[in-house]
Amino acid sequence: MSEVLPQPGLELQPRSLRARLFSAAREPLWAALLAVTASLTFSFFAILATGKDPVAGYGYLVSGALGGPGPIGETAIKGAVLILTGLSVAVAFVVGLFNIGAEGQLIWGALAAAVAGRALDLPAFLQLPCCVLAACLAGGLWGLVPALLKVRRGVHEVISTILLNWIAIHLVHGWLVAGPLAAGSSSSSISVAGTANIRASAFLPRLLTGSRLDLGFPLALAVAAAVWFLLTRTRRGFEWRAVGSGAEAAYASGIPAARRICEAMFLSGALAGLAGGLLVLGTEHKYPGVFRTGYGFDGIAVALIGGGTAAGTAVAGLFFGALRAGATRLQLVGIHPSFAELIQGVAVLLVAAPRLFAPLLAKLRGRPRALAPEALESAKP
Amino acid sequence: MKRYSPLALFFGLALPALLGPGILPGCKTQKAQHTIGLALDVGGRGDQSFNDGALRGLETMAAGVRYTARGYEPVPDAAYQQLELHPPHLALPKPLVLSGKAQEDYEPNLQLLVDQGSELVIAVGFMMEPATRAVAARNPAAKFLLLDSPVLDASGKPVVAPNVRSVVFKEHEGSFLAGALAAELSRTGKIGFVGGMQLPLIRKFEVGYRAGARSVAPHVEVLVAYTGTFDDEKKGVEIGQDLYGRGCDIVFHAAGLDGLGVIKAAQQANQLVIGVDSDQAQVAPKNVLTSMVKHVDAAVYGAAKDLLEGHFTGGDLVLGLKEGGVGLAPLGAGADPGALADVEKLKDAIIAGKILVPATLDELAKFQAPSPATLGLAHAVAASK
Repeated sequence: MSEVLPQPGLELQPRSLRARLFSAAREPLWAALLAVTASLTFSFFAILATGKDPVAGYGYLVSGALGGPGPIGETAIKGAVLILTGLSVAVAFVVGLFNIGAEGQLIWGALAAAVAGRALDLPAFLQLPCCVLAACLAGGLWGLVPALLKVRRGVHEVISTILLNWIAIHLVHGWLVAGPLAAGSSSSSISVAGTANIRASAFLPRLLTGSRLDLGFPLALAVAAAVWFLLTRTRRGFEWRAVGSGAEAAYASGIPAARRICEAMFLSGALAGLAGGLLVLGTEHKYPGVFRTGYGFDGIAVALIGGGTAAGTAVAGLFFGALRAGATRLQLVGIHPSFAELIQGVAVLLVAAPRLFAPLLAKLRGRPRALAPEALESAKP
Repeated sequence: MKRYSPLALFFGLALPALLGPGILPGCKTQKAQHTIGLALDVGGRGDQSFNDGALRGLETMAAGVRYTARGYEPVPDAAYQQLELHPPHLALPKPLVLSGKAQEDYEPNLQLLVDQGSELVIAVGFMMEPATRAVAARNPAAKFLLLDSPVLDASGKPVVAPNVRSVVFKEHEGSFLAGALAAELSRTGKIGFVGGMQLPLIRKFEVGYRAGARSVAPHVEVLVAYTGTFDDEKKGVEIGQDLYGRGCDIVFHAAGLDGLGVIKAAQQANQLVIGVDSDQAQVAPKNVLTSMVKHVDAAVYGAAKDLLEGHFTGGDLVLGLKEGGVGLAPLGAGADPGALADVEKLKDAIIAGKILVPATLDELAKFQAPSPATLGLAHAVAASK
């Protein structure tokens, strides 16, 4: 519990905010678990304070997330998307970049999947893989932009990815999907929003009757396993981590740091793009007129709770997916569905806050500690 | 001890809650008593416009209850009489209302309403069309009301589903009157339109409005802007400020929640604004000239009534001026009785079929404005001289 950092001396040096936020990889899993349980408890009392029945609410939350094939399918759909956007943020952080642009990359991925699913007319066994690849490619290219800006021009990726999100949102929602790619022509007065439907051969196959659980979920898990392997068991992953720990040192030891940053950001974007592709190929079957997900932003929360590791991110993604899927049913007992966001927000706060204040706490305590349970306690609202 | 307290709390309180449906007999997922369920799109409750119109139809008119900060409460008779439409109460229990947080929630939400025992499931908004089609096909015994879109097949052609009633409104006809009124009352010769997303549905408002303005005062310039969203009040403020800044003195909005921002901009600029879907006079009594009312409430009430009386049928309904589906709310500030007389004449001409109001940009390009003189529009002729 009172774990000392592997290199205690390091703690005396000022670490960047970003590094502290994502330092969870070195911390035990229970810190995240504790944050989540504390957050559930907090929300329990918050619901109670609004005069509603939290026991019934949580009951509905669970039944909406896990009670039968239908709810499990919804959890899987949302979980798969959150796992991928979480991995996107986590992968970028490996090379030391904070990718806030998963939302924009997801949007391009979704659009590419919708366009490819409509425009291509390949044999069934090729159609779906091509659409998935198109989603990855589109997201990846959009992710490459901030990486190039960073290594060529020194533009901070937090700024550029935030701005690129807005560029993607306005280009896609405000122009492409409303204009050139819209399904209905200007002579039609029937209101269809979004692009034309993709071909049935591009649908992600559903795996369970009475449920929308589709191939996207096993795919997301497989991708998580592949990312884990890449980051921890390959030379490339090692070099990425070396760049993340110190780009200049890595460069000095012969690693082409700029190139590695671009590679990782391409993968990061591709993962977010794939997340968007899954939504289009799995449930929407077109780029919808209103495509507001927040999945890209929630990916940051997922990666934070998951401690930046592939396994942790997969678990956190599933948990938040279940939370989102179950939240709708809170309305059955008159509880506002935003309470699911409260649970998520408080959990993120509890995970992030102790790290933000870690140097201060360490100073107060007079010994270098990464994260102690007391830190969690004092950060609780 | 202190450090374990969250865990202790968890095991003491949260865990039983999580396991609740399994072990606590009191909160088993039972079939609720609701007979009518309403699924809202991402705009949700509180837009004081389209979604709230559907809610009002169901809650106040049909069920005789109203959602307040304290939950559902019965509506007093006096308040009921003040409603624009006040048909007799129906003997309905409280409605079950679900808002969707994301587009992929529509289908499970509709299914959930069916599973909860709703005999009539109301899908508010054309974006629910694919989900309604899927859920209606899967639950042939349940009945559905789909607002703003017919049921479509995979290639986008309207089809009839036996258990779905769809209601589409001729928003362009109501907007035509709004455009005519605005053009006649404008002192600056510039009026504005703010749309939400650029969709065929919202184009109907824009096109009707422009056609109406052109019919009474061809010299009046109509500035058109779209916010691109339906739930961003800030955008509405910005675009509203822009239009008023460029010299518009009357702006019509069809932008959902964004429209509340347009109304705010009108208040700041001390100019007039035309509301949409519901009568929005109470939002800014001094600035709302009128509202292009879309009687979603009446469509919802009608479906609920038919259900109770046992003659609910599927199929498509199209409600225009003639059917009372759209129209202008009572005039508020700054209204000129002469202009209103002209609006009434235009309304009669549309109902009589003398004016075919365009609904798309293509139709607008071909639209021949009727001569004001033949319709006897005194005010318009004077204005265009």
